[in-house]
Amino acid sequence: MIETLYGSGRLEAPAAFLLALLLGGGFGFALERAGFGSSRRLAGIFYFRDMAVLKVMFTAVVTAMLGLSYLQALGWIGPDQVYLMPSIYGAQIVGGLVFGAGFVMGGWCPGTAAVGAASGKLDALVFLGGAVLGGVLFNELFTAVAPLYAWGDSGVSMAFAALGMSRAGFAFLFVLVAVGCFWGAEIVERRVSGTGEFLGSRFLKAFSLILVVLAAGLFIFPSGRGAAAAAAPPAASAPGEAELLRGVEAAADHVEPEDLADRMMRGEEGLLVVDVRPAAEYAGFRLRGAVNVPIAELAAFLEPRRNQGTVVLYSNGMVHPAQARDSLARAGHANVFILTDGLEGFAERCLKPASLRPGAVTPAEAARINAWRAYFSKPDAPPARPARVEAPRAELPGMVSAGWLAANLGRAGLKAVDLREQKDYNGGHIPDSLSLHPESLRGNVGGLPSMLLPAGMLAEHFSLMGIEPADTVVFAFSGDKLRDATLAGMACERLGHARWAVLDGGWEAWLAGRHPTDALLPAARRSKYPAPAAADRFTVDYRTVLAELGPGTVIIDVRPADFYSGKKRDEARGGHIPGAVNRDFALDLAPKGSAGSLMPTEELAAAYAALIPSKDSPVIVHCRTGHQASQTFFVLKHVLGYRSVRWYDAGWTEWAARAELPVE
Amino acid sequence: MSDEPKKYMNPYLAGVLLGLVLLASFLILGAGLGASSGLARIGAFAEGCIFPGHVRASEYFGKWAENPLGYYLVFMLAGTFLGGLVSALLAGRIKVGVERGAAFSARNRLLLALVGGVIVGFASRLAQGCTSGQALTGSALLLSGSLVFLICVFAGGYAAAWFVRRQWHD
Repeated sequence: MIETLYGSGRLEAPAAFLLALLLGGGFGFALERAGFGSSRRLAGIFYFRDMAVLKVMFTAVVTAMLGLSYLQALGWIGPDQVYLMPSIYGAQIVGGLVFGAGFVMGGWCPGTAAVGAASGKLDALVFLGGAVLGGVLFNELFTAVAPLYAWGDSGVSMAFAALGMSRAGFAFLFVLVAVGCFWGAEIVERRVSGTGEFLGSRFLKAFSLILVVLAAGLFIFPSGRGAAAAAAPPAASAPGEAELLRGVEAAADHVEPEDLADRMMRGEEGLLVVDVRPAAEYAGFRLRGAVNVPIAELAAFLEPRRNQGTVVLYSNGMVHPAQARDSLARAGHANVFILTDGLEGFAERCLKPASLRPGAVTPAEAARINAWRAYFSKPDAPPARPARVEAPRAELPGMVSAGWLAANLGRAGLKAVDLREQKDYNGGHIPDSLSLHPESLRGNVGGLPSMLLPAGMLAEHFSLMGIEPADTVVFAFSGDKLRDATLAGMACERLGHARWAVLDGGWEAWLAGRHPTDALLPAARRSKYPAPAAADRFTVDYRTVLAELGPGTVIIDVRPADFYSGKKRDEARGGHIPGAVNRDFALDLAPKGSAGSLMPTEELAAAYAALIPSKDSPVIVHCRTGHQASQTFFVLKHVLGYRSVRWYDAGWTEWAARAELPVE
Repeated sequence: MSDEPKKYMNPYLAGVLLGLVLLASFLILGAGLGASSGLARIGAFAEGCIFPGHVRASEYFGKWAENPLGYYLVFMLAGTFLGGLVSALLAGRIKVGVERGAAFSARNRLLLALVGGVIVGFASRLAQGCTSGQALTGSALLLSGSLVFLICVFAGGYAAAWFVRRQWHD
């Protein structure tokens, strides 16, 4: 079985260039041997003086046609191994008529002109220059001629099928016509120029007989095999298929490549594409916008997105993503899909150039393919930053060191966000970091002040900063304001943004490490951050807190002890929620001097183990505005691994103001 | 090269040779022969040297703008020239000059060659191929549109032949 470069998708590889050069050499040699280095001889056919063009071309066509037919009938080469051009009747009729006129004027066609130029014919050289100009002219007029270019597009059409004949039958008829033309040409030559040297010759008789016998020989093969090439491979995508797929998507566990490509290009909200291959392969090539998550970490990574939006897994093939999907489905993830045929299928069905495709590629499909190629060939970050941000040692969300940040700075997919005051930022900051005031993530929601903004607004906020769902976002802060970073982290949590981290030690640790700083503004391009459709699952209001009062749920009031006790108060009522325990958030911070870090994890673990029975115990944290509690939330959930931590954002501000709520 | 140039090869045998080259191209490349694509790519390259932004933004050349010359048919065109050169050298048929009828001026013949070239360059983009890529290759594959193109090339040629006949008058 012969595998061609086209069949194996290597027609664009350098090896193909060398082979094309050699085959071109054979082509030029044969043309020159035939005498096609002479325009007078070429033009002769139009004046019935010299019919060599007809004889050579028809013989070549018949020879290659018979050869290919036999090889296909014998099963040596598959019908999908040779590129078949679409029939675009309007363009080919008009193009052919115009071409013929140009041919007879210029005395050359492109291939023969190359040979003519090699033979020293200056008119061939001029003709070639004209043909190059003609191509440029076509490009300039393309908008105007585009309708004609696509006029009468009928996809791949085999002549015998179009005429309702068998391949063998058509080939036989074709050869008979060719032989008839040969004899006719000889007669014409004899009459017009007195030549026609092969008329009645034993050579032409034998030659004609051989061709006819060879053509007749094709009848011995079952027509199915010989006609296999008639079955043009299906077009890449029928119109309406995407709609169809969207309809069945809810039930199927596959997403088709064309569908995924369109949805990724549209920037569909809530769509997360996950590359489960090793990081090195991901770094080499990936679908633009895809996140890299090892299969082992998938479950943890997707937890915040459980049944929110659409998650599509892909690898090179389908086996590993399918296994992962099944496992996730059993764990209750109903929104996880796999990419049909994996990355290989995507490359074949979406990224393969239209020019290399078998079967019909309509201009509309070609435009779609070109759009995919243009979109997915662009890296998802500036090319100057090829390496993807590496995974920090700790799991995300978590803490990353200044050293890790410095090592990854400038890599694709890393966004540093500086939460210090703007004047401090203006004076010097981590290169490329984005300045953000943490309070800009909060606002009045339904009369409650300082509430973390709804997901839609946060998504818009992130979009304006150019943050993408796959980015690793590191929050830098100053002094003991670790809670600024964790408050910004709450915004990530609400958006289901899994890859966020707190810069351990904050800005001071960055300076202490003598890492670079600058005072430039980063180039951020607006992104389209998708807002999750559903509300987050960790924010609670006073009703939930009220309902869970009493044993079962541990309510932790993280305000300083004096406020917990009621000794100090800023609100109408002092004290605390009945049954709440007190753990000042500041106790979790490392002592001054190493500001900006947390206490050693073992000490934190011991302190909270004394308050919370188990890692699965329901916990609600609160403070006055939600700011300090965000730090405790981070410590419990992401440092210590408590699994059921919730956040009463409105906190004491609301509880104290609502006179009907009990106070201790 | 003072010898008389060799006689042309028997056209039928030359046709068989050409057909075998075409068949080899089918079997090796999985695509037939082509010439006009290479010329168009050269056009895209040349235009891109002068107006890079314009070519990148243009609808037709734009998709090649990355590297217009990195295409197998560009190499095939170079090979065609070289193959023709070798054959012409062996046959002693290299002769620099303008091929025309004795009664027709070289300047006018070159003018016709230029205009014909522009027309052919344009038409082969419209039809997505020339005598090589469509008429020869497509016909051998028994593709409907290519056979229609082949017939139309001759129809157009015969229709226009009378108007330019004088360039071959001796």
